[in-house]
Amino acid sequence: MPTQLQFDEKRRKAITQCSRCGFCRAVCPIFDLTKRPITNAHGKIILLKEVLEGKLPATEEVAKAMLRCTACMNCTVNCPSGVDPQEIIKAARRDMVGMGFDNLFKAMGEVVEKYGNIYGEEKRSDWGHRKGKAPYALFLGCAGAYREEESVKETLQLLDILKVDFTLIDEVCCSGVLEDVGYKIKEDLVWRNIQEIQKTGAKTLITTCPYCYRVFKEHPAYKDLGMEVKHITQFLKDFDFGVKTDKKVTYHDPCDLGRHAGIYDEPRQIIQKIAPNFVEPRRTRENAMCCGAGSGFRGAFPKESVKIARNRLSQIIEDTGAEILLTECPSCLHNFRNAKRQKQKIEIYNLTEFLARLYRERERPSTKEAA
Amino acid sequence: MIKKLIEIVGQENFTDQLEELVPYSYDASMNIHRPDAAVWPETAEQVLAIVKFANEHKIPVIPRGAGTSLSGGVVPIRGGVIIDLSKMNRILEISIENRYARVEAGVVCDDLNRELAKHGFVFPPDPASSTVSTIGGNVATNAGGIKGAKYGTTRDYVLGLQVALPTGELMRTGSYTMKCVSGYDLAKLFVGAEGTLGVITEVTLKINPLPRHAMTAVATYARLEDAGKAIFQTMTSGVIPSVMEILDKVTLKSIRENTDIDLPDAEAMILTETDGFTWEEVEAQMEVVLSILKKNHPIEIKTAKDEKERLNLWKARKSAYATLARVSSSFTLDDVTVPISRIPELLVGIQEISKKYNIVVATFGHAGDGNLHPQILYDEYDSDQVERTKKVEEEIFKLTISLKGTLSGEHGIGLSKASYMTLEHDPVEMDLMRRVKKTLDPNNIMNPGKRALDS
Repeated sequence: MPTQLQFDEKRRKAITQCSRCGFCRAVCPIFDLTKRPITNAHGKIILLKEVLEGKLPATEEVAKAMLRCTACMNCTVNCPSGVDPQEIIKAARRDMVGMGFDNLFKAMGEVVEKYGNIYGEEKRSDWGHRKGKAPYALFLGCAGAYREEESVKETLQLLDILKVDFTLIDEVCCSGVLEDVGYKIKEDLVWRNIQEIQKTGAKTLITTCPYCYRVFKEHPAYKDLGMEVKHITQFLKDFDFGVKTDKKVTYHDPCDLGRHAGIYDEPRQIIQKIAPNFVEPRRTRENAMCCGAGSGFRGAFPKESVKIARNRLSQIIEDTGAEILLTECPSCLHNFRNAKRQKQKIEIYNLTEFLARLYRERERPSTKEAA
Repeated sequence: MIKKLIEIVGQENFTDQLEELVPYSYDASMNIHRPDAAVWPETAEQVLAIVKFANEHKIPVIPRGAGTSLSGGVVPIRGGVIIDLSKMNRILEISIENRYARVEAGVVCDDLNRELAKHGFVFPPDPASSTVSTIGGNVATNAGGIKGAKYGTTRDYVLGLQVALPTGELMRTGSYTMKCVSGYDLAKLFVGAEGTLGVITEVTLKINPLPRHAMTAVATYARLEDAGKAIFQTMTSGVIPSVMEILDKVTLKSIRENTDIDLPDAEAMILTETDGFTWEEVEAQMEVVLSILKKNHPIEIKTAKDEKERLNLWKARKSAYATLARVSSSFTLDDVTVPISRIPELLVGIQEISKKYNIVVATFGHAGDGNLHPQILYDEYDSDQVERTKKVEEEIFKLTISLKGTLSGEHGIGLSKASYMTLEHDPVEMDLMRRVKKTLDPNNIMNPGKRALDS
């Protein structure tokens, strides 16, 4: 078992590159909550610097500090010195697991292997949707399929309304998140997914989860998938919807979709068509604050995670006064819905879910007309 | 000690865990030392209780805001307890009719300005770290920024303070008025004191109306002397630009080679801005500035009126720090300041020192108020370079003082410049400073070991 961080020259350089200016304090969702320097990028990099220099032993507490990051990448985008802390933190998590500091995601890895999803659920909702051959295969991801089933149902209805010839598959967890938290992607799950997706004969894989999108798109394990991968907002951006809302609408950029995948415009192109009364939050696009769910953080620190979502949600409400908050990520959606206080009147939807509801509202005669 | 501190702030606001203390051993300078504990008080009364306890037991306490200091000012060189004021971040009062804002010490500078902007007002000093820097920290270091020439530094806006004194009292000093000559100006004594006299818990700041318009111009020069002349001729023309920045050739070269910003091969670049209530006012001022820039043989001049063009012109200046930080793994960023007309001599002198020791020094800064930032680039793991860097820094300080300048315009003395205090201050002045310190902090618990006050 290695006793030291396996950092190469590039990572060592990145660590000394941190000028400790502390500008990451302004954008770190966890620091924003705790005000403790150990929780932001600058603090974590100092810890790693001392470990590398042999001034600080690699301890359980160092490993725990590394886990306290949502990998939202806001510090990366805003680092004047060009450091990418989330990459360094993920590498440190891997190395520390290698050094014997296993974390709670070890158990999650076993659950994923056994049940095919991160929650250890035995059964998935059926939504009564067909499975078979189609030009488009739809991948839902764990958070949507097991925690936001109603939202998924609406998304599926939307695709039906838009007459998209698609099929669901017998999917298992993409298992990419394990690599974020110190472990390895599950090759057998990857293999099962690839088999299932290819069986459909689809030319395009559409994902509703931005994280799964990234894993299919970027992870070498999925390089043999052999088809185009699109996030659902990319797929829907050119559709004509013919439905509209007058309500005041705002949008939260999921970190995995925005900063990680660079998909900012597509959701907005869709919103532009359906919500003329659209207003951006103050912190938006590249500077959007994280909802607190990412990179295993909700699993490891559920209380802090929901508090972060609460902060982000309150800030959005204060900035925009919007009646509807849209996003397109099952994890963000789930965290926001958990965080929402009863007195907060804002409604929170995935964009696709909201679209389906608009169609349904159009079908249903309004009370005024009915009278 | 642990038990008492927990009693004061609560378990959740106390730590003595090694890993949590590691980040508190640093600031943005190269100084390092571990504290023994850290606390996050939530009220002035808690701060007072901590300070009182520390005084009784002669434990050093180090007030800390965002820890962005570049001088070692918040590095606990004698150990002790870090008092992190980040949780005291409430804006207590914005009184537009009386032109002041009253805030807790941990309020972030930009957060205050965002609130003030809603009323068309601003707290003008804008250090580069304003997205994270706390008002308490700005006051403790008398932070300046880009607009110093026209709008001054933090000191010019501090009307009153609440301070936890090491002798065990919570003191209110200063006023809520635009003018005040009632007694000694004790509030100003704490401005720039770097936490060596007491812990600032609350600040009352004068605020300004936000200028409605601004116009930007950039000029590049083949000769440093021409740029220098352009600067002091502008500053004596009757117009005071809101911005008057200079970038030297090393900085320009680094930006040219490491970014896609289009820059000519020049010895110096000046970035300037005029601002005001009306466009006419802004343009009339800019006309004067431009005529002076033109007269001094520029390579080229560019101007910008709208926001997009402005941001474009600001690009080179804004990327200076980042580009240099990426070029070198370690650096020291100083803030020497000279009378405005001596800027060209300081710039040339720094370049000569850099050559002499074969250490890269890139200089940029606020030429309009004489405040330059030589950024000395080196490798912290190369002991020979570290040695030469120290010599470079020492010679820059000596040169600055010989030009009737000062060691620090806006960062403070902290640890990094402590041993040079006597270069600038004669024994009479040093002695009085030490007596002031001893009177207010008889047990030397307040941020000890800084600015050569207790050595």
